[in-house]
Amino acid sequence: MKPEIKEKIKRNLPKMLSFFFFFGVITILPLMTIILPKKEFSEIENRVLSKAPEFSFSSVLDRSFMKNSESYFADHFVGRTDWIKAKTQMELLTGRREINGVYIEDGRMVEKLDYPDYKTILKSISAINNFSENTGLKTYVMIVPTSAEFYSSSNPNIDQKEEISKIYSELSEKNIITLDAYSILNSNKDDYIYYRTDHHWTTLGAYYVYSSTAYDMGFTPVSLDNYNIEHASSDFQGTLYSKTLYDGVKSDIIDIYYPTSGVDIMSTDVYTGKGTETYESYYFRDFLEIKDKYSVFGGQNQPVVKIKTNALNEGKLLVIKDSYANSYIPFLSQHYSEITMLDMRYIDVPYDEIINIDDYNQVMFLYNYSTFAQDKNIRKLDF
Amino acid sequence: MVFSSLMFLYIFLPVVLILYFISPMKIKNLIIFVSGILFYAWGEPVCVFIMLLSTVIDYTAGIFMNKFDDNQKKRTICLIVSVVMNISLLALFKYSDFIIDSINAIFNLEILNPVVRFNRVINSVFNLGLNEQRVDLPIGISFFTFQSMSYTIDLYRRNIKVQKSFINFSSYVSLFPQIVAGPIVRYEDVQKEIDTRKINVNMAADGIAVFIKGLSKKVLLANNIGILWTNIKAMDYSEISVVTAWLGILAFTFQIYFDFSGYSDMAVGLGKILGFNFPQNFDHPYMSKSISEFWRRWHMTLGSWFKSYVYISLGGNRKGLPRTLINLIIVWALTGLWHGSSWNFVIWGLYFGVIIIIERIGFGKILEKLPSFISTLYTFILVVFGWVLFDTTDLPSCFSYFNAMFGGNGVFIDGNAKYFIITNILIFALCIFGSTDWFGKIISKIRSKNNAIVEWSAPFVQVILMLVCTSFLVNATYNPFLYFRF
Repeated sequence: MKPEIKEKIKRNLPKMLSFFFFFGVITILPLMTIILPKKEFSEIENRVLSKAPEFSFSSVLDRSFMKNSESYFADHFVGRTDWIKAKTQMELLTGRREINGVYIEDGRMVEKLDYPDYKTILKSISAINNFSENTGLKTYVMIVPTSAEFYSSSNPNIDQKEEISKIYSELSEKNIITLDAYSILNSNKDDYIYYRTDHHWTTLGAYYVYSSTAYDMGFTPVSLDNYNIEHASSDFQGTLYSKTLYDGVKSDIIDIYYPTSGVDIMSTDVYTGKGTETYESYYFRDFLEIKDKYSVFGGQNQPVVKIKTNALNEGKLLVIKDSYANSYIPFLSQHYSEITMLDMRYIDVPYDEIINIDDYNQVMFLYNYSTFAQDKNIRKLDF
Repeated sequence: MVFSSLMFLYIFLPVVLILYFISPMKIKNLIIFVSGILFYAWGEPVCVFIMLLSTVIDYTAGIFMNKFDDNQKKRTICLIVSVVMNISLLALFKYSDFIIDSINAIFNLEILNPVVRFNRVINSVFNLGLNEQRVDLPIGISFFTFQSMSYTIDLYRRNIKVQKSFINFSSYVSLFPQIVAGPIVRYEDVQKEIDTRKINVNMAADGIAVFIKGLSKKVLLANNIGILWTNIKAMDYSEISVVTAWLGILAFTFQIYFDFSGYSDMAVGLGKILGFNFPQNFDHPYMSKSISEFWRRWHMTLGSWFKSYVYISLGGNRKGLPRTLINLIIVWALTGLWHGSSWNFVIWGLYFGVIIIIERIGFGKILEKLPSFISTLYTFILVVFGWVLFDTTDLPSCFSYFNAMFGGNGVFIDGNAKYFIITNILIFALCIFGSTDWFGKIISKIRSKNNAIVEWSAPFVQVILMLVCTSFLVNATYNPFLYFRF
C-alpha cells in the first residue's frame, strides 16, 4: 500500500470508529429488544408492563397508537432494569438525593410528599363532617404522618404535624374524636417504626399508635408481651425500592403479631367488586413469596374487606381507609366482633349500595397524610 | 416525534439512515420526504395535512413566480398569496385563541373560534376527537411556515433559483432534523445541497459528534436542571427565600439554553449525517457583553430571519432614527409573539426591544468601555430577568416572583434553598461550564499539543455519552403505577 493512503486511513480511523460505534449502538439495542422474549409483569417494578399497541385508523388519529408504541418499547427495552439502576447511581453521584419522587437518606428511602392539595383536603373534611352528621355514628379520625416527617433531611417544606393539626381543627367536634398518631411515633422514631424501602409503617409503628390511642377509643390496649412476634419475611423490598431500584438500602423485615390469648380473627370476607370470597385467615401468606409482601396484611387492596372475630361484644366498626390500615386492623380486632374496611379508591357506587350503615356503631377514618392530602375519593361519601 | 426519545433513537433513526445510505442518490430525497412526513405525523397525525398544504401552496407559488418571470405584477401576486397563506395558518392555528380571547375580553363578546367550530363539525361526522374547546398548536408550525416563506420571499427577491421538483422542495420543508424546533433553515442555506450533496463517513462522523453533544445537553443537563425549576415553580412565590427564587430562575436559564441549543445541535448533527450543512443557531449566548450581542448569539436563525424579512422590508435603519426605532419596536414585539401567543411574550419581546434601543442610542458605547466582567454580568442578569417574564404564567405571578428575588418575603436563605444548593451544585457547575466556550478552548489547547489523544478519545466519549443518555431515557417513561393494587 502506498504510504499516503496508509496515512490517510490512519487519519480517518477515529472518525470511522465514531461512525461504527454509533451505528452499532442504534442497531444492536433495538434488535436485541425485538428478539428477546417479552414479560407481561415486572415483579421488580411491581407493575403490569405495556402491551403491544394495536394499529388502526382511529388509534393513529387519536395518537394512542404512538403513545402505546412508545411505552411498549420503553417497557421492554433490552436490559431495562439495569439501565434504571445505572441511572439511579449516576444521579446519586451528582449529589442528587431525589430519585423518581423518592429521597435517598442515610440507610433508608423516604417518599417525597407532593404539595398538599388544599381543595381536595377541604372536600374530604366536609365529606367526613357530613358523613358523621348524617349517620350519627361515633367517628374517629386518625391521620398518620409518613416517614418523611421523621427521617427526611430533604423535605423540610411540609410540616405534617402542623398540617394534620390544621385538618383536625376543621373537623366538627360534635361526633368526631381525632386521634394523635404523631406524638407517639415521634417519641419512638429511633425504633423500627417505618419500613426502609416501602412507604408504609411497620407493624411495630402501628402497634405503638394503637397502644397510645386505644384509651381515646374507649378500651385498654393489649400489652406487647401478650403477642408472639413472627418475622414473616426479612427480604422485603417495597414500593420505594420499586421506584428507584436502588440497592444501597437494607431489605425490610415484616413482622406479624399473634396474640397469645384473647380474641382471634375467625374469617375474612373479601369483596372484589364482582363477588365475595371468604378466607380463614387475615394473613395472606402467599404474598410473602413474591415482591408485594406488604399484601400479607389482608391481601391486596380491595373495595371491601370484612373481618369477624370471636370477641364477646357487639362492637361493629366501619373503617374508611388506605393501605396503612391493613397492618393496623389486627390490633383493633381485639376489641370488636366485626370490622369492615372500605377503600373508597375502589368504590364507584354510593357506599350504601355496598354496606348497610345501620350495622355499625362506630366509624373510623384511617389514612396516612400523603394519601389524605391528595386523595379525591373520600368525597365520594357525599354521593 | 422528539429526538430525545427511545423511539426516535432506536427505531426511527436506524431504519431511516440505513434506507437512506443504501439507496441511490435519486431516491434519497424521496426517503427524506417520506420519513419527514412520518416523523411529523407521529406527533401530529392530523395537522400533518396543514404542513402538506403549506408545502403545496409555496411550491406552486414558486413555479408560477418562475413562469411569469418578466411580469412583476403577477410575481407580486404569487408572493402575496404565499405570505398571506402562511401568516393565516399561523394566525388560525397559533394565535386565534389569543386574538379572540382578547377581543372577547375587551368588547365583552362571546365569539367562538372558527377552528374550534370546524373541529366540532368534523368530530360530529368523523369522530376524530379534535379539541372542541381550544385550538391545539400544531408542533413546529412557527418553524415550517417561516421556512417556506423564506423560499418564496427569496425567490421574489431573485436571491435563489426556483425548485421545480416537488419532491425536492417538500423534502426541504419536511427535512426531519429541523422540522419541529429549528434551526430555521432558509431555502438559500440548502439550495445546492437539496439537489446534490456528498455523503461520506467523515462528515457523518462529524454529525454524530454534534448530535451526541446536543443529545447530552438536552437529556443530561437541561432535563436535570429542569427538575429544580419545576420544583420551585410550583412553590408559593410569597413564601420562598431570595436564594430559592434566584436558584429557580437560574435553573430555568440553563434549562432553556441547553434544551434549545441541544435540539439545534441534534438537528445540525443529523443534517450532517444526511449530507446537509445547516446554519449554526447558538454561539455561547450567555457570554455576550450586551443585549444586542446576546440576540446575535441566541437563536441566531430567528434573529436573521426577522432582520432579512421584516426589519429590512420595513426600511431597516435607512429612513432616519425615529423610523428605525419604530421598526425595532415592531420587530421585537413580533419576535416576542413568535415565541408564544400571550401578552407575556409580547412584553418579553418589547423588554428586549427597549434595551436594544437604549444600547443603540448610546449606552452600547459605555458598555464597550466597561470591564468585560461587568458587561457580561449586566447582560446575563437582564436575560435572567427576561426569563422570569417568559416563564411565569401570568403578570401577577411574574411580579410576585420578582418580589421574592429582591427579598420581598423577608427571608434570604432557608432550609429549602440549602437543600437545593447541595443537591444541584454539581449540575449547576456543569451548566455554567457548558454555557461558556472554555471547553472548546481546552480541547483546542490539548489538540495543539497532541492531536491524536483528542481524535482517538472522541469515539469512546461519544459512545459512553450515548449510553448514559439512553439510561436516562429508559427511566424517563418510568412511572410505576404503584397504587393500582395496594
